[in-house]
Amino acid sequence: MKRWIAVAAFLASLIGSAALMQGCGSVRGGTAAAKTYVKPGEHDTYYAFLSGGHSGQVLVYGIPSCRHITTIPVFTPEPAKGYGYDEESKAMLKGMTWGDAHHPGLSETDGDYDGRWLFINDMPHARIARIDLKDFTTREIFGPIPNISAAHACPFPTPNTEYVFAASRFSIPIPYPTVGEAKNYARDFKGVIAGVKVSPEGHMSLGFEILMPPFDWDLADAGKGPSHGWEFFTCYNSEMAYDSLEIKASQNEMDYLAAVNWREAQKAADAGHGRLIGGVKVLDPKEEKGIVYLIPVPKSPHGIDVDPSGQYLCVAGKLQAEVTVHSFEKMIATIRAGKFQGEIDGIPVLAYKDVLEAKVPVGLGPLHTQFDGKGYAYTSLFLDSQIAKWKIGPPWSVTDEIDVYYSIGHLMASEGDTRHPTGDYVVALDKLAKDRYLPVGPSYPEASQLIDIRGPKMELLYDFPTYPEPHYAQMIRAEKLKPMKIYPLDENHNPRAVKSADQARVERHGRRVDAYLLAIRTHFTPDVVRVAQGDTVYFHVTNLEQDADITHGFGITFSNCNMQVDPGETKTIRWVAEKAGVTPFYCSNFCSALHQEMQGYIEVMPSGTKLASVARPSPERLAEVAALLRR
Amino acid sequence: MVRYLNGTFRSSERRLILLAALVLLPVFFLPVLPIWEMHLRAPQYPEGLTLTIYTNTIRGDLAKINSLNHYVGMKAITPADFDEFAYLPQLLTGFGVLALLAALFNRRWLAVLGWVLFTAFAAYMFRDYALWLYRYGHELDPRAAIKMDAFMPPIIGYAKMANFHVLSLPGPGTYILGAAWLLGPLALWLERRARRRAPTAAATPAA
Repeated sequence: MKRWIAVAAFLASLIGSAALMQGCGSVRGGTAAAKTYVKPGEHDTYYAFLSGGHSGQVLVYGIPSCRHITTIPVFTPEPAKGYGYDEESKAMLKGMTWGDAHHPGLSETDGDYDGRWLFINDMPHARIARIDLKDFTTREIFGPIPNISAAHACPFPTPNTEYVFAASRFSIPIPYPTVGEAKNYARDFKGVIAGVKVSPEGHMSLGFEILMPPFDWDLADAGKGPSHGWEFFTCYNSEMAYDSLEIKASQNEMDYLAAVNWREAQKAADAGHGRLIGGVKVLDPKEEKGIVYLIPVPKSPHGIDVDPSGQYLCVAGKLQAEVTVHSFEKMIATIRAGKFQGEIDGIPVLAYKDVLEAKVPVGLGPLHTQFDGKGYAYTSLFLDSQIAKWKIGPPWSVTDEIDVYYSIGHLMASEGDTRHPTGDYVVALDKLAKDRYLPVGPSYPEASQLIDIRGPKMELLYDFPTYPEPHYAQMIRAEKLKPMKIYPLDENHNPRAVKSADQARVERHGRRVDAYLLAIRTHFTPDVVRVAQGDTVYFHVTNLEQDADITHGFGITFSNCNMQVDPGETKTIRWVAEKAGVTPFYCSNFCSALHQEMQGYIEVMPSGTKLASVARPSPERLAEVAALLRR
Repeated sequence: MVRYLNGTFRSSERRLILLAALVLLPVFFLPVLPIWEMHLRAPQYPEGLTLTIYTNTIRGDLAKINSLNHYVGMKAITPADFDEFAYLPQLLTGFGVLALLAALFNRRWLAVLGWVLFTAFAAYMFRDYALWLYRYGHELDPRAAIKMDAFMPPIIGYAKMANFHVLSLPGPGTYILGAAWLLGPLALWLERRARRRAPTAAATPAA
């Protein structure tokens, strides 16, 4: 008996150790997976806002699960949300059907994300959009900003969201359009930096513009802490090439960082200084001193990122395997001492050596830097396909590197560009996916990797594809956002709203017809609308629901009309009765058990048919609706 | 019996009756504590829906519940339909006044009368509540999209109704009113016990 026990124990220990060894092999993958695991029904700890690039949208992801939660249409019509189809969003888009959205900028208070709004630029059309994070909906599109051509260094909000900025990447003769010849580039083409004021309610208006040399103004970041009050811009092509830029714009050993003192610039603009160009006053540094300075940085730099202390200006070298760290303190001291090495178009140029704090040899193709709030910086390396982690402060050296897949552009760290980064995660936003996912033909998705930065070594947790094409992205702690669940009906002050069936009606004003419809599970009232051929019909649809997630769609067959009306909301869509005949409309967003029954008809009578100036639902219909709703 | 009813209380029992009065009196002014609560849960309502009945109104997810009920043809629940809300708080305050008078004038008959009336009133209201529930579950619109057999929603406790799990329970208001109700018998019992222990003192007519 005892022997049996001994044998059994021996076997058990063998099996146990084998299982343990087996376990060892999968420990890394297993623990990494556990770190991204968010239990069904539970929520992520971060919202990530990824710019959608030339899709003109913003992609919303949950981190660490890396689940795509929603897409916010911004510069592009999007039928899933009915954006760009209803009159209000159409008015914001002004007929444009694309944008190239590069840099999300979360609003800030005291240099930290406050969760109110998300700004994002449309580079080619020099527009800035504001998304309200109460309902994740684009609420304002400002621009095209006069005189700005291709707003790449945009919007990069200041620490209290006083300003968002825009700067010309592709200088042109201004205002647009002005006839010119590219060979006269250096003489006739102008760069411009614009400071766009943001009101406490979030509304954007032009604060000031500054005339700049026609370099390609590339990226920006706001000063914070001691450097609050300054906005920094990098540039390439200080060679002022207008053709073959890949060669001609890569010749100078130094390009520049521009430092804009936005308080001083605003003072000058408020005093009425500047030349009128394109309908706005533009400040000229030749006449206006103290608003902008140039600081040399090596070799076609790309990203400028101010560290959490606000003391260090980290400029990624792009064509130089280094991050150049300039000291804000030295910059101010040099400016105070009036020690300049020269002037370009009236802008004082500081000496590189006077401002330099450190050069950090990070690797090949450094583009952007983010921070963890624990004294480290993380720089993306395009050519090395790596992220380098380096220490801010002596010995200014790399402490860790991690491979990413492939050709990383931007990276986002958790609240990684604020005064208080949380130091939890970095996401690599790669330009190429190659072999990372199931192949889908020659048009590839983009690739992203989630990396844990809580320990001394970076750890790759997850790899996920995204729809083209995230450039910059930002991540905010989830508890900072408190989105609405519905639009409260009693706060719906839209003059087109109808809140009960007896207000629903079809009104005729000449050839314009206003149809005031209400939508509620599971009918439209009225659900038969009579118009005449040639009428332009505005359907104003109010969703009377106050229950979460009961959105009603309003789609008209054989037309370009489809909008989505969320609970408590009123939206308007325009439809032209081109031909006599009957056209159905229906709820295009599955809403309930009787969703299929939620439909109606537009009767288009032949042109010239005499129709009542106001048509209301019949008393029988009203009684029926009242019986259904008791409203 | 008459002698018993004409009797008085000791100060400790008077305090109990006064306490009952203090609970009941402010009801008219402060109908804030729910009398009854109904919790509904369905797969697509993970956070649940709630109906909260006060002495003067019904609150909670009325609109959502009415939206759902219209599928089966249930009459919409609207506070305006309930005449009870016009007199319920005032009546409760009235009982408070009775208790106050009983404590102030120190009359046992007043306390007994108040308690008996209050008991009858509570029983009547409970029956009234059950009747309302019966009507909602039975007077279904025959034209409703979804035909459903008439049903009785739970007065108290749990029931499954279509895709909803329904839990109906008294609210804090009812517990407090119940405690006030219990103070009546408690005072009488305490007084009786004290009288038995000191028969001579209790036999003396009220001072």
